[in-house]
Amino acid sequence: MSNAEERAEQLALISRLKATYPEVPEWPMPDQMTSDHFLAYMKNPHDVGGELDVPAAYENKEEEQWELMTYVLCEVLGMRGIWVSEERRRIGNVDVGRAVYLGIPYYGRWLWSVGRLLLEKGYLSWGELTDRLVEIQDRYAGGLAGRLPDAQPKSEGDGANVTRNAHHLEAAGVGDPQIFAGKAGPAKFKAGDRVRVRELPALFYTRTPEYVRGAEGVIAEVTYESPAPEDETWDRTDAKPEWFYIVRFKQCELWHCYTGPMKDTLQTEIPERWLEAVR
Amino acid sequence: MSDHGHEHDHDHDRTVKPMVDEITDFEVLEIALRELCIEKGLFTAAEHRLFTEFAEQIGPTPAARLVARAWLDPDFKRLAMTEPLAASKQVGVDWLEPTGFGTPSDFVALKILENTPALHHVIVCALCSCYPRPILGNSPEWYRTPNYRRRIVRWPRQVLSEFGLVLPDDVEVRVEDSNQKHRFMVMPLRPEGTDDWTEDQLADIITRDCLIGVALPTPGVTTNIITTTRSAIRPIAN
Repeated sequence: MSNAEERAEQLALISRLKATYPEVPEWPMPDQMTSDHFLAYMKNPHDVGGELDVPAAYENKEEEQWELMTYVLCEVLGMRGIWVSEERRRIGNVDVGRAVYLGIPYYGRWLWSVGRLLLEKGYLSWGELTDRLVEIQDRYAGGLAGRLPDAQPKSEGDGANVTRNAHHLEAAGVGDPQIFAGKAGPAKFKAGDRVRVRELPALFYTRTPEYVRGAEGVIAEVTYESPAPEDETWDRTDAKPEWFYIVRFKQCELWHCYTGPMKDTLQTEIPERWLEAVR
Repeated sequence: MSDHGHEHDHDHDRTVKPMVDEITDFEVLEIALRELCIEKGLFTAAEHRLFTEFAEQIGPTPAARLVARAWLDPDFKRLAMTEPLAASKQVGVDWLEPTGFGTPSDFVALKILENTPALHHVIVCALCSCYPRPILGNSPEWYRTPNYRRRIVRWPRQVLSEFGLVLPDDVEVRVEDSNQKHRFMVMPLRPEGTDDWTEDQLADIITRDCLIGVALPTPGVTTNIITTTRSAIRPIAN
């Protein structure tokens, strides 16, 4: 049970966590907010391509048991139609916000996204989850003594009435994105077409990176039909598939002061809604 | 880690950590969610076990074998470039497994990027860590980091040089940012000095790093570039 001093220490710790630009007061008034700052705050935290960073030692990592279990948890929920991976990505890579995105371990966010989704979709209540967290903390309160903690479900529920998406049944034996073939209509672009990436406001979620917006490239390949991630992420059953394209850019045109040779390129995959023809 | 998925690259230089006896917040949350999901019938313990077994057996061997076979057999190479899912099946990887519609995170859309003497590919997922798990196993930690993802798209040659890979200016470096449902692997060029090699010998030098594009297959080199490995507090139970 924490005492007043421990609570004060935690408050002091949280007070040191800064998540805003230092040049503007916290909680800015509308007249203190410029558009470029607004766009910076709205930028999806996962969209880090091209952001400034320095060389650092890369390392491998031995996987924790809980990390493997987290990965399995996420994929089994997808296998059983509770979500699609795009929902997980939005929740765990964007909805968390920039501070948590950079501040907690990678699989910590995978795990967070499970809890968040199950609460939002009503599979669990906050009380059920919180009571169970307390129970597990108590279970191992004396220390693990070299044991691996493990799940001890009290029963195995009847899953027949659980709400599941149609996708996991429809796509069985077919595949994703194969299940969407033939549903997008004619492709607007073909290989070799010059295109520009539109500069859309991109609030809440996108997988078209900021570093290509406004840039011109060439269609390298017309790839497949699928709902755009901007629809798939919200579990929309009415999401209309569209054509996807691998678009090739010249690095010297993409980046200001690109330091490599003129022939270097970058390719990324973009759904049709994001592209416009260049005359 | 089972022998099936055993990586021949031995990233084992570990530091020893003191035992941490207290359960972590993440372990508590994972166990709570797993228990509640099973109790509410979202999935069964058997389904969880099935996927765990799938996850534990994936590794880079099939991808290495695919490239080695492509080097030796022009018809197989043509298959790999035109029907990569069919080529995957021939090295034992069915991308529909184990769910029947593909793993939720990896989908069913493999593309193999063929290097030529004038073109070198390197792969990233700048938004998260999308990676062709079914054929290549799990991604290395560095691949997932914001550091790699920020820098490889914009300063690819600098990042590659940190892996010891310096390419001449007349070779185009093409970064493939894997940001949608496609999953990519590189088909590197077959190096000099491998005449008369068997498929096994060739596969041995086609490391995971070569298949991402941060290394080139080299006779005598069967390890990845980075071997330092941070130990886990409580690693995977065998």
